[in-house]
Amino acid sequence: MGFASPNHPIPLLTSPLKGEEIDSGGLVPIRNIAVGLLLLIFILISGISGASAQEESVCIKCHGAQTGRLAAPVGEWRNSVHAASGISCHGCHGGDPSDMAMAMSPERGFLGVPRDEAIPGFCGRCHVGVKDDYLASAHGRALGRGGPHCVTCHGSHAVRTATPELINSRDCSRCHEYGRAEEIKSAVIDTDQRITGIEQSLAALHRIGITTREMEGELFALRNDFHRLFHSVEVEKVRSRTAGFQADLAKIRGRIAAIEAELNRRKLWGGAVVALLVAGGILAWLLHRSYIDDKKAG
Amino acid sequence: MDVSSRRKFLIISLGAVGASLAGVAAYPLFRYLSPQPTGGEKGRVTIPRAQVGAGQAHFFQFRGHPAVLLERTPGVFAAFSAICTHLGCIIRWLPEKGEFLCPCHAGRFASDGKVLAGPPPRPLQVIPVAVAGDNLLVG
Repeated sequence: MGFASPNHPIPLLTSPLKGEEIDSGGLVPIRNIAVGLLLLIFILISGISGASAQEESVCIKCHGAQTGRLAAPVGEWRNSVHAASGISCHGCHGGDPSDMAMAMSPERGFLGVPRDEAIPGFCGRCHVGVKDDYLASAHGRALGRGGPHCVTCHGSHAVRTATPELINSRDCSRCHEYGRAEEIKSAVIDTDQRITGIEQSLAALHRIGITTREMEGELFALRNDFHRLFHSVEVEKVRSRTAGFQADLAKIRGRIAAIEAELNRRKLWGGAVVALLVAGGILAWLLHRSYIDDKKAG
Repeated sequence: MDVSSRRKFLIISLGAVGASLAGVAAYPLFRYLSPQPTGGEKGRVTIPRAQVGAGQAHFFQFRGHPAVLLERTPGVFAAFSAICTHLGCIIRWLPEKGEFLCPCHAGRFASDGKVLAGPPPRPLQVIPVAVAGDNLLVG
């Protein structure tokens, strides 16, 4: 079907047959290609938005449309490290994210909200290493007797990437005096800052197209092991193992420094190439001038 | 300086600049096309067979990265990179289950390296193993 107007004698959208019937020189095929491209872009955009719509589980749709206590987790989760990593409601709470009627059915594996004592096991289904260290710690041994669990320090739906800031007087002194916790914090903060610094350096290298995946993996593993160490809540253990972590971090830092040195060398060589090109241009111009001078003189 | 000497000097200088530019352009190309050192025989790791107990995993360093060797069935050995294919944590062996577990996000791998559960997108990277008498040659 085509659309024509006095101002637009050529149909904007036309079938190939109608396009042949209209004498418009080479414009119709070009328009057809343009229309085809526009349609392709439209289909791609629709596809992408369709895909994001599919990611919205029935949990998000239903709770997101509510207000108050039942809606709060959706907003908190959207800014969480879980949301950023593609972990949605059913990843922790189970259930069927595709079936509104059965979404919260135990038959579909819905777990609901865990009791306080069950929280380490709930989070520990994925965070197995941290769970082991926590359960062996003074905190873990006090579970069920007023001791803290994962949510006490990390929160639940708004969970973020852990930093030493989670160890603070406001939170720790809810249960005990802050002194010992502060000792642990001061023991980990330097190493944690080194980890963050390396993360930033790797991100900067990645932005300019350097392959950093392997080093990112090593750093992630190291960071995970180091953060597991906090969960033992034993300052002596943290101190005794810190040197090992810092030595491993120094190895990654050394590899980053080698890449940065190579990039600086490339900059110098780039500068030398530009200088050579300028010199070559001047020499070629002088040579050209010598022939012109010859012609004038002759 | 007469015209012909001046011109000769300019041509030689231009040639030198051109040759330098060609060298600068060719060197990265040469480096890019040169085969990367894989370690060859030196990159191979020899592990005494006795170190790998039946049903146990032997962790070692292979070309600077953690790797693991195990005897899957009597006389059949397999070696893998010990780096989880999810985010790069080091896997551990659960002898009672006969599988690998990543402590970071509970990725589970079978004794042949295939993903059993969890977020890992790919199986563990396989490293070739050959039996040579009482030794195992890995790599």
